[in-house]
Amino acid sequence: MESNLTDKLPLKEHLQNVKKILRFIREMDRNCFRIMCLVQAVQVSIPYIELLLSAYILDAVSARKGFREMMTVTLLSMTGILVLRFLASAMSHHLEVRRAHMSNLYSCIVQTRMLNMDFSRIDSPEVKKLKDRIRTDNNWGAGINSVFWTGNAILYDVFEIAGAAILGAPVAVYLIRSGSLTAWLVLAFLLAVSVFSLQMQTHFRRQADAYRYSDYKDAADKEERFCFSWEFAFADSFNYKNSKDIRLYESNRLMERWTNEVLSHKGFRSLLLKGAWGDAGDSFFSGISRNAILGASYLTAALIALAEGITVGSVVRFAGCISRLLTSAKGLADNLSYFALAARRQLSTLELIGLEDEMYKGKLPVEKRSDNAYQIEFRNVSFRYPGTEQYALKNFSMKLKIGEKLAIVGMNGSGKTTMIKLLCRLYDPQQGEILLNGVDIRKFRQDEYSKLFSVVFQDYTLFPFRLAENVAVDQRCDRELVQRSLENAGFGDRLSCLEQGIDTFLYKDYDDSGLEISGGEAQKIAIARAVYKDAPFILLDEPTATLDPLAEYDIYTNFDGIVGEKTAIYISHRLSSCRFCEKIAVFHEGSLVQLGTHEELLADTEGKYCEMWNAQAQYYKDTGIVIEGI
Amino acid sequence: MNTSNTEFEPKHHSIAGNILFFIRHYKRYEPAVLWICAGEILLGSLLPLFYIYLPKITIDLAAEKTAPGRLLFLLGGFTLLLMLLEGLKSGLGSGKYNLYNTQRTNLVGMLFLKSLRIKYEYTESGPVKKMYMKACRSVDSGDWSASSRMVSESVSLLINILSFLLYSTVIGYLSPGMLLTLLLLSALNYLISMGRIRFEESLREEDATAQKHYQCIYSSMGNMKGAKDIRIFGMQHWLLQLRDHVLGELRSLEERRQRKNAFYEWIGILLSAVRDLGAYAYLLYRASCGTISSGEFVLYFGAVTGFSGFMSGIMGALASLRGAANSTDYIRAYLDLPEEDLTSGNTHIDTRRPPLEIEFRDVCFSYKESEGAEGDTAPCTKEIFRDLNLKIRQGEKIALVGINGAGKTTLVKLLCGIYDPDQGQILINGIDRRKFPKTEYYRLFSVVFQEQLILPFTVGENLAMDRMDQVNEEKAWEALDKAGLKQTFLEKGIGIRSYMTKVMMEDGVELSGGQQQRFLLARALYKDAPVLVLDEPTAALDPLAEREVYQHYNQYSQGKTALFISHRLASTRFSDRILLLENGRIAESGTHRELMQAGGSYAKMYEIQSSYYTGGDPDGIQFDR
Repeated sequence: MESNLTDKLPLKEHLQNVKKILRFIREMDRNCFRIMCLVQAVQVSIPYIELLLSAYILDAVSARKGFREMMTVTLLSMTGILVLRFLASAMSHHLEVRRAHMSNLYSCIVQTRMLNMDFSRIDSPEVKKLKDRIRTDNNWGAGINSVFWTGNAILYDVFEIAGAAILGAPVAVYLIRSGSLTAWLVLAFLLAVSVFSLQMQTHFRRQADAYRYSDYKDAADKEERFCFSWEFAFADSFNYKNSKDIRLYESNRLMERWTNEVLSHKGFRSLLLKGAWGDAGDSFFSGISRNAILGASYLTAALIALAEGITVGSVVRFAGCISRLLTSAKGLADNLSYFALAARRQLSTLELIGLEDEMYKGKLPVEKRSDNAYQIEFRNVSFRYPGTEQYALKNFSMKLKIGEKLAIVGMNGSGKTTMIKLLCRLYDPQQGEILLNGVDIRKFRQDEYSKLFSVVFQDYTLFPFRLAENVAVDQRCDRELVQRSLENAGFGDRLSCLEQGIDTFLYKDYDDSGLEISGGEAQKIAIARAVYKDAPFILLDEPTATLDPLAEYDIYTNFDGIVGEKTAIYISHRLSSCRFCEKIAVFHEGSLVQLGTHEELLADTEGKYCEMWNAQAQYYKDTGIVIEGI
Repeated sequence: MNTSNTEFEPKHHSIAGNILFFIRHYKRYEPAVLWICAGEILLGSLLPLFYIYLPKITIDLAAEKTAPGRLLFLLGGFTLLLMLLEGLKSGLGSGKYNLYNTQRTNLVGMLFLKSLRIKYEYTESGPVKKMYMKACRSVDSGDWSASSRMVSESVSLLINILSFLLYSTVIGYLSPGMLLTLLLLSALNYLISMGRIRFEESLREEDATAQKHYQCIYSSMGNMKGAKDIRIFGMQHWLLQLRDHVLGELRSLEERRQRKNAFYEWIGILLSAVRDLGAYAYLLYRASCGTISSGEFVLYFGAVTGFSGFMSGIMGALASLRGAANSTDYIRAYLDLPEEDLTSGNTHIDTRRPPLEIEFRDVCFSYKESEGAEGDTAPCTKEIFRDLNLKIRQGEKIALVGINGAGKTTLVKLLCGIYDPDQGQILINGIDRRKFPKTEYYRLFSVVFQEQLILPFTVGENLAMDRMDQVNEEKAWEALDKAGLKQTFLEKGIGIRSYMTKVMMEDGVELSGGQQQRFLLARALYKDAPVLVLDEPTAALDPLAEREVYQHYNQYSQGKTALFISHRLASTRFSDRILLLENGRIAESGTHRELMQAGGSYAKMYEIQSSYYTGGDPDGIQFDR
């Protein structure tokens, strides 16, 4: 389904797209379509009543009817119009509430889907590509609102055509009967103008789209036209606070080159102007054909009047009907193509949220054990990340004993964090299996299996909501337990000076009274969250990298108390943590190369562990300062 | 750093003032827009008059039973005229779209570039940040953006006012009394519209809060970094609860808005019914007396109903302009912020004759706000330094240590001129640094900060932090070589012109955490300034890579004055002197051996860390906090 929005598509596919999106809207709001129909029907009827009224009045005036009689009819019609207007207004405001709700629901639907998508999927090239497509698809549209608005316009056109056809039916009879050549000529002229304009419009619109949906031809083209202003203003990764580097390195010229300077590059400028001429041409011919319809309608009605001797009122009525019919027909054609485009723009979104899960979903419940006697075994596990060639873990086997405190050490990229991710079943290995008490973990229900693990990842995330909710990950929580968990994690002192206690919001994103916390404090809250969960396995992924010696010391000493009798895995490339744990596993290039106590590993002077240990320890030995290589 | 809240409330400008601002803006950046608008206004205000004459002419011609040839000639000619005018008007209207729409990008770029030039202390001040975000957001909502609305709504306002006047003339010609009545009704309509606008504006704050909540849950759910936590802790349920709560909040707000809007609309409908009825009664009376023809009847009735259309057009444009003008205030206020003074100062320094001597004399510094510098400040502490005295000799290698929040990063920022001291002096070779132009002063320092800024541009641009045509490729390779990246880059086929990160190019270079730190080091080495400052350069490195950095440090800092900040106290071993920051002062200063003998805070910290490696028992050490 790699296609550009400007590519042509067979009608059948358009129809399928439209069907898909309509079904989706129905799922979000069942009655929406019915209300839309009702609103448009009422709204269309109002101008027709007005048209009939003015036709009546004109005839009545020329028939020299009495003022009183004319006023009575007027008053009655006006009352009807008033009632219909009130009705239409009330209904359309109600519809607006539904539209806004639907739009809000729909705007975050990708994010909502992300919550439950397989973890291995969310970062995959496939999903990334879809997300990119969603971004470009929604670049020049109002998302589901475009579908909604054009849908409304189509309904309006359809009702209006129906109304015009009913009220203007006699025109056809007159036209055929009178055989006025001039009238036929006028209509032929109109047809010619319309066809010509339509063709010109298509031409110019394509030119305008070439700007709007243009892709970059090649890298050089991209360098010429890619402008970073929006990325710099809004993306977190290069925001504002980095301005100190930019100042110190005097890089204003570089930043200008990638932002405002692009706007005056030749390639950018010429495409922009071409697009502007495209827009102008499109609208010029649209205006021409619109008024050709209007003028021709009056002309035809007047010619019929001359030939058939119909009344002035009928002229107004017929002119109104003809112009409404033709305008709506033209509008319908336009709106149908807009609708097809709007529907097509939503396909990428629908495709993303409709992605089927890839991971096998087991049904087995996890046995609840009060003694926490869960045993984990990795058996010949090999794994590489989606879209990469290199194995992150290769033929990896290991057993985790109940109640064991295990340290995992190794260089960057040796597979430490990967092993944790596989253990929690964020990914499934390509080869081998992971067993829980002898059963392949894929066979368990994922939600129950996840309950076994409390993890503090290196890049843990807290959310900008209440502190208590962050710890309990629920709106309802055991407040006392939250309090205790925070205290256990070392957040107690800070907590006691918070006015709103555990109801304080974190950060200022949601609430202005929110608390800005330092990295160390955030880490403590993340640890409290793991403590609150009270899972049989606790996994800490390098929580001390950014901490100063004192804070590191605190975490090390508290660790034992936090973990208690549970099974714990502690990842670090700081070897100092190892002495704390009973057993140390050394990872290297995706394999387990050494396993043993600190003393055992250190005794193996050829081993990786010894090499790493010495690299750090040499600076702490008081035998003077010996640094190689100076 | 005085940044009180009131100082940064943007100055309020009138609608006319802000329209003028944009006229000046467009005149400078896209003058064609102004010409197009002028043409559109002229045609747009004339056209409605043509439209109400069309039925009149038709009816008149039909009523007098004119010859078909004459009818064709007159009405056909009129139609051709209408076609041309409408075509031109619509063409102008849409033709300007791309031109003004691009100004949004121009403006957001101007704001961003400005953010790099304002005084640095502003960039860390909450109110200024807020002002910046509001200014950027005001051009970030498509056609609803301030710069776009200012154009389209000004045009619409003028067209409606001019048409209003033209129609008034037509109606006044028929009956001055009727015109007066209509004006009266319009005044009533005005009051209602004002009520509606005010109601809409009263919701603005609530609306902004609800939108903020929505953004918050939106980005929380889509947070890719948090995806692991969301799954392991089963947060889906919680986040969906929050989402539904926010959606409900938005819905009830919308319900209130629509109910009130419907109320205003109903009054409007009632008023227009009264108007139409009055118009019909008057015109019917005149017609039944025979004083106006059928054609005139249609003309005047069209004028009466069109009249109120212009009135609501004026009101709509005004309401929209009010909103746009309000956002424009933020843009203007931000663009008007004072910029950093980069050029004044008449003392110059010979950078080719390093090393430099640096002295802090009685330096006091405090953050005036709770949210100070990121990372290095405890939120409760406001005062960072009081009477800080410090002297770094020429070519000296300093290790700066201290606990989190002791002010290490703040000291670096003071040193390299990002911050200015509240009191006291910073002297370079004995000269107060305020005597140097800031640009020249900045050139004295190569700094690697903790936050890693890799721009999505080429390797060369990232190293030189300058345009590609200014990059010295040889020097760039040399810097990469020194930082230990050359080999890796050559192996992977990465060149100076390769793009970094995937943002710009799909095959862009992505570096691991450790490689990024080396890359930033290469950037500092490329600059080759007389003072080298490294702030925690080894945090993301594994032990072997860390050792490598230590081993090369002397080479990097050769002939330079250097400052090395690290939690890893091992780094102190290859420095000439160690400075320990504590309670806003230099608490200890000396070589490793001296400080160990003194047995102060440094010695205790060191023992804790080294005990892991030397076999001592970390729990056995008494630590006095």
